[in-house]
Amino acid sequence: MSSAARWLGAAVVLSGAAFFLGDYHNDVYRKLLLWVTLALSYNFLFGVCGQIAFSHFAFYGIGAYAVVILLFQVGLPLPLAVVLGVALCIVLALAVAIPSTRLEGFYLALATLALAQLFIVVLNEGGALTGGTGGIASYSLPDVFGMRITGPRYTAVIVLLLLGTLGVLWRLDRSWFGRACRAVRDNPEAAAAMGVNVARTKVIVFTLTSALAGVAGMVYAFVDNTVNPPIFGLDNAFLLLFMVIVGGAGRHAGAVVGAVALYLLPFWLHPIVGHHHVLVFGVLVVAAILLQPRGLIGVYDWVRKS
Amino acid sequence: MQDFLELAVSAAASGCIYGLVALAYLLMIRPTGIINFAVGEWAMVGAFAAFLLLSRFEWPYPLGIAAVIAFMLLLGSATERVAVRPLLEAGAPLLAPILALLGMLVVFRETISVAFGPDPFPVPYPLGFGRLELGPLAGSYQSFFILAVTLAVFAGAWLFFERTVAGKCFEAVAINRRAAALMGINLSRVTTLSFAGGAGVAGLAGLLVSPNISAHFLMGVPLAIQGFTALVIGGVGRVEGALLGGLLVAFAEQLTVRYAPIPPGFAQGVPLLLLMIFLLARPTGLLRAKEARA
Repeated sequence: MSSAARWLGAAVVLSGAAFFLGDYHNDVYRKLLLWVTLALSYNFLFGVCGQIAFSHFAFYGIGAYAVVILLFQVGLPLPLAVVLGVALCIVLALAVAIPSTRLEGFYLALATLALAQLFIVVLNEGGALTGGTGGIASYSLPDVFGMRITGPRYTAVIVLLLLGTLGVLWRLDRSWFGRACRAVRDNPEAAAAMGVNVARTKVIVFTLTSALAGVAGMVYAFVDNTVNPPIFGLDNAFLLLFMVIVGGAGRHAGAVVGAVALYLLPFWLHPIVGHHHVLVFGVLVVAAILLQPRGLIGVYDWVRKS
Repeated sequence: MQDFLELAVSAAASGCIYGLVALAYLLMIRPTGIINFAVGEWAMVGAFAAFLLLSRFEWPYPLGIAAVIAFMLLLGSATERVAVRPLLEAGAPLLAPILALLGMLVVFRETISVAFGPDPFPVPYPLGFGRLELGPLAGSYQSFFILAVTLAVFAGAWLFFERTVAGKCFEAVAINRRAAALMGINLSRVTTLSFAGGAGVAGLAGLLVSPNISAHFLMGVPLAIQGFTALVIGGVGRVEGALLGGLLVAFAEQLTVRYAPIPPGFAQGVPLLLLMIFLLARPTGLLRAKEARA
């Protein structure tokens, strides 16, 4: 089976599933797909290129808020709003990435943590533009080519987003650039000696993955038709990091497994621990790092081998 | 002027809290290079321990404070035993314990949230509620109490690093782990001690701040961010830098709330902006300090 047919098959199966699900399960399914998309791009930043940033979820929020504000506060048409939103994410990501690639290890994490917190402060204090603490609600996606895209059809849009993100990252990972990223992660000095421009590699990866997160945020904006500050807070930024660690950092399959596992876990755990599933996440992360640094996907490899 | 002096006392008190959190970071970063973001949660646990002993069981304050610090020392070494030592012994990259400690952060926070629920809990003032005037300086008893305790802790830390053999061991490990180990310094004991000390100082910060803001399970992360900002501004090299950085952060924060013509909500952003500016504009300062000692 050729590669194009495989991608097409995945698109048909994943979006076809949506047409058999009810409203509630469609909603769960959509958010699951979005988490997987985010985990994939975050995995490229953190797992493949070795940069720990807490700004990924903030860029998701920036994309969502940008498209909503441009569409409904400024009144731009949809294509222009999307293009401008992506441009905004790229400019912001560059502004953060260029100075911060000089930071080593966890210092980048803390600089981007400050950025993420600052984003929430701006949202809360943004007045009429951002809707303050209540955010913006009760809008809906404008018609595209005279077509109203809702329900399972919108789920299909999210499937396209997921596969598009995966496609971009897959191609990059398999190219010389992906190898350069892994070299930068494992040993920056050796990478530089081999002729890899370390700073430029980091900037490109940070900007690209942040822009991908922004695009995912734009799609998210029309899932619940509401954007508000608590959604884009620090808790979800941590959750995203945990998904990639628990699943297995550095591998696409790991990101997918981690996102699916940690997204669905609260549903299974709810009868046992109620709202305290985050405690289980914390324990899982510590256990993953101590016992199996390659995550669930590493466990899978180990089981298959023995 | 009166207004400013009043502000200065309360700003100095919160600066001392940030300084203590920064000192907790510093105690662990110096010998191990590990940025332990869970210090904020340690402060939170310290505040809850203070609530239990002082409010619920009504222990006398000196006994309560001693028990809280003893508990924090144990908690710190237990954290090190569980989440740091196995990784260091296995030769994992430095990032592994940092991430494991992020996991511990969530474990601490959620455990407290399970045990106590989402409500804030009051902690009594050690000297009662009152106002002290020293010449032109005036503030609450608690502000002066925080100042006095913090100065004592920093004096102790300075003496420890400058005047004791154990402190010199810490410095030696910070300068060159391998050489220090070859000179007969027990690396794992230094690591355990640094985590115990970090937890003790962080718990003390939580205990001192809790009468003002009440013990709450979400109080940790803001303290961790502000303490880290203080550390970055002061530099990781010197004990007194932590206090200086804490005071700078607190004054910047409170002066903007009071005098800058922006909505008070934006003032929350001041420490965050400071952190970003310092990290982005002076990273060479940070990195050079580390390399020069390597």
